[in-house]
Amino acid sequence: MEGAQRPLVALVGPPNSGKSTLFNRLTGLRQKVANYPGVTVERKVGRARLRDGREIDVVDLPGVNGFSARTLDERITRDVLEGRAEGIRPPDAVVLIVDVTRFEQQLMLCEPVLELGVPTLLVLNMSDELDRRGGRIDEELLADQLGVEVVRAAVRTGRGMGAVDRFLAGAVDRGAFPERPCPAVRNVPHGVQLPMVDVFAQRRQRVRALARDARFAPAGPSPLQERLDSVLLHRVWGPLVFLVVVLVVFQAMFTWATPLMDGVEWLIATSGEWVRGALPPSWFRSLLVDGVWAGVGSVLVFLPQILVLFLFLGVMEDSGYMARAAVIADRLMYRVGLQGRAFLPLLSAYACAVPAILSARTVEDERDRLTTIFVTPFMTCSARLPVYALLIAAFVPERPVVGPLMGTRAATLLGLYGLGVGAAVGTAFLIRRTILRGHAAPFLMELPSYRIPSLASLGLRLLDRSKVFLRRAGRVILGVAVVLWLLTQVPRSGGSPPPIERSALGVAGHVVEPVIRPLGFDWKIGIGLVSSLAAREVIVGTLGTINGVQDADEGSLELQAALRRDLDLGGAVALLVFFAFALQCMSTVAVMRRETNGWRWPALQFSYMLALAYLGAYLANRLI
Amino acid sequence: MSPRSLPTVGPTAGSVPEQPQELRLDAVPLQQTVELVRIDLPIEQVEPLLERGLLPGCRMCPVRRSPGGDPIVTVDGNLLALRREMAGCLCVRLADGDFVQDGDPTPGPR
Repeated sequence: MEGAQRPLVALVGPPNSGKSTLFNRLTGLRQKVANYPGVTVERKVGRARLRDGREIDVVDLPGVNGFSARTLDERITRDVLEGRAEGIRPPDAVVLIVDVTRFEQQLMLCEPVLELGVPTLLVLNMSDELDRRGGRIDEELLADQLGVEVVRAAVRTGRGMGAVDRFLAGAVDRGAFPERPCPAVRNVPHGVQLPMVDVFAQRRQRVRALARDARFAPAGPSPLQERLDSVLLHRVWGPLVFLVVVLVVFQAMFTWATPLMDGVEWLIATSGEWVRGALPPSWFRSLLVDGVWAGVGSVLVFLPQILVLFLFLGVMEDSGYMARAAVIADRLMYRVGLQGRAFLPLLSAYACAVPAILSARTVEDERDRLTTIFVTPFMTCSARLPVYALLIAAFVPERPVVGPLMGTRAATLLGLYGLGVGAAVGTAFLIRRTILRGHAAPFLMELPSYRIPSLASLGLRLLDRSKVFLRRAGRVILGVAVVLWLLTQVPRSGGSPPPIERSALGVAGHVVEPVIRPLGFDWKIGIGLVSSLAAREVIVGTLGTINGVQDADEGSLELQAALRRDLDLGGAVALLVFFAFALQCMSTVAVMRRETNGWRWPALQFSYMLALAYLGAYLANRLI
Repeated sequence: MSPRSLPTVGPTAGSVPEQPQELRLDAVPLQQTVELVRIDLPIEQVEPLLERGLLPGCRMCPVRRSPGGDPIVTVDGNLLALRREMAGCLCVRLADGDFVQDGDPTPGPR
């Protein structure tokens, strides 16, 4: 069947209603994630195969609480449902899914969906939990009241999926929904206070009446949730557990992911050498191995770490703990001009700023989101670590600081982490008082019930996130890597590439030398800085090449000795500070451009961080 | 459940005032069910509250405080965390309790 002829069904529902679980159950691996044109809202479309073998397209709309145009998610959801969204056809049917344990609140979304006049199925998800906690609802009475099909379901266990399948089959039988009645999502009052409250209040009354007529009895308190919350949100235990969770995530990222990263590194190096051996020497071989292979490799090597990070974040999210963590973090974040939801992106940024900036979408308020995005690159991402490791090994002699617990080297590294956090806090504080001035947005965090995460949904999430990361970071780094390779190849003399100091890249290093001289850097470091624009850790390899060190990595003693000849201690500290502050990462810049819809923010951020890096490095070099 | 069985704790413990008096949500003791009267926030900040069922007339009950001292309340079986600054903008009165509506937050087992 042609794609254009398959009916399109839209999944709508509030956050935490199990909408994505339903989407995953329906489409499995047959899903595609892209953005809606011009905006940063993800468009998740998949193909579902019905039990009779026929297929339909399913679009998973963002989780929303309402259809006002207050947030981008809400605007997109409304546009798609009304058939006005660019790049997606009007849906032929709607599946509205709600968490029935929070029936009255979630049903507020029902009315605007029904007003669309599109065939709709209302899925009362988590009805197993409602039963368990002594609540009840008569779905047939509710269906009579609403005039649409209603099914009790527990999507996680598969209960009710038969009815969903029958509804979708009905959508295929009907074919395309003939014509759209005039869209009637009428709850978007502007400016006047009373009508808005009234619209909601009236809807609320109708929902109450519906609930009464459907003999709805709310779920009793969940003893498990009570018990868990009394520990996880406890005044003392809460923050302690939070700290342990953060430490475990760190431990996982930096210890458990390391063998995987080493494996990927080895795989890339070995396969690169194999390609080198298999091809005759030519510029093409050099482009392939030194440009493309190295570029792709420098992205791939971070993948294991990002996967481990997202595995943990996924468990936190699906179990319901993430919301609690955000509540615990909120007080602290609020003081510096951020909010609790920013905790997730900031934690992710310790692996890589690219997925971190993408995950800042969960920060509801636009000013909060921009602030979060702006400070994210100050967090010490993994790409800084090889640079830190190399310089610390070369310049900081190991001596005990806190007895046997910590030495000078670990203390220096910790200091660099602190420097990043300090810069982030200061920057957030600064921009909330200047360019992003305004009232703190209301912070409202729904605390979902605790659940055991399902492996399937974790797996799909990992797959999905790694695809997005590779696409976003991969393209840019590959591009920059090829350009950098080209700069090392020209001007060619006698058919062979010049020595690096006389290449275009070397010339660039010499050109910036007068500017970086006050920081204690020479032209070699200059070349390194220019090359690290692709990704920070590239400087290690570049410095190796310049100094004629074969297969240089951060542990190479030869490279450390060469650096000690080129830099004094002041210069080394300056270089560390420079890397702590500067936005030496084109993928981050590119992702920022997408997420802020323009060059303004990334340009501002790049210049701000560069200025800060220069100033910091200058001071460090002068003072030491 | 009769109104008298609603537990009152904290400084106002002992008696449910006869006149429904207005107070701010951040001053409501834990496990005390109250009814939202008014939201003293700029209009553009009110909508997220309305969408989550925080409407004048709704009944809410602070069930615990976050480690940072912010209230966590139930609204229609929905657990919501908010900042105490915002709680200070929510004007509430003690629920009269002469009716128990579906969806009333049941006081926790404390």
